[in-house]
Amino acid sequence: MVDWLTMTIQMVSLGVAVWCLVSFFQDRPMLVPHLIGMGVLWLLVLGQVGAAVATMVGGDRPDELPMLISYLATIALLPPACAVWGFMERSKWGPAVIAFACFVLPVLLVRIEQLWSPVV
Amino acid sequence: MSETAATTTGTTLRSGPGRLLVAVYAVFALAATARGTYQLLTRFDEAPLAYGLSVLAGALYFVAAVGLARAGRTSRMVALVCVSVETAGVLAVGALTVFWSAGFPDDTVWSNFGSGYLFIPLALPVLGLWWILKVHSEDRRETPPAS
Repeated sequence: MVDWLTMTIQMVSLGVAVWCLVSFFQDRPMLVPHLIGMGVLWLLVLGQVGAAVATMVGGDRPDELPMLISYLATIALLPPACAVWGFMERSKWGPAVIAFACFVLPVLLVRIEQLWSPVV
Repeated sequence: MSETAATTTGTTLRSGPGRLLVAVYAVFALAATARGTYQLLTRFDEAPLAYGLSVLAGALYFVAAVGLARAGRTSRMVALVCVSVETAGVLAVGALTVFWSAGFPDDTVWSNFGSGYLFIPLALPVLGLWWILKVHSEDRRETPPAS
């Protein structure tokens, strides 16, 4: 796990969430810039998942391994799944889906952080 | 697939606010099922009732999400039933955990009316009910019953 990457993902994710909320209240559908934003976010997430997997293969494993793997799979799939689902909707509810996903993502990262290095 | 028969209702139930509802339901389905299954498998003895309820809640969320997304007449009824059971579930379990906490040594998604999940489990079925009934009444107004 790369600490600064977790921070960056959380910041970018919240940024995209706020941006999509603004689009939602301006009654705009999801457009290509939103999609690019989600793409950047997804790449960052994939980087973090890759780093985590590399560390685990290297032998440094947390106690609750199955739980951690399922969380990692979730964050890897959440951005593209929600981006597609939101982009299919041609109304202001498309950005609403993305905003929701981008608020959930930082929470998931916090849980992953707790699983990775539990506070004893 | 009954897609062609349900084109008008099909697009309304999963579009607009329904689009967001399906996304939220899907995420909660995953969260509750994964959490409950894992806890059942690893710590069954500690709180079987709580973990079983988590899995049940997850299954309900999943069926509701699919029902909303498929959006035909039948799946609308399925979603309606699921969402109703959920409302009852979150109210009952919420009240039980507040007044009879001894029965629940560990938390479920529905504990304390879903306070661990920002009360979304409490708001979700209410919004779901509102949306399904709204689409249902609009649908009845637009297309008078055939035969």
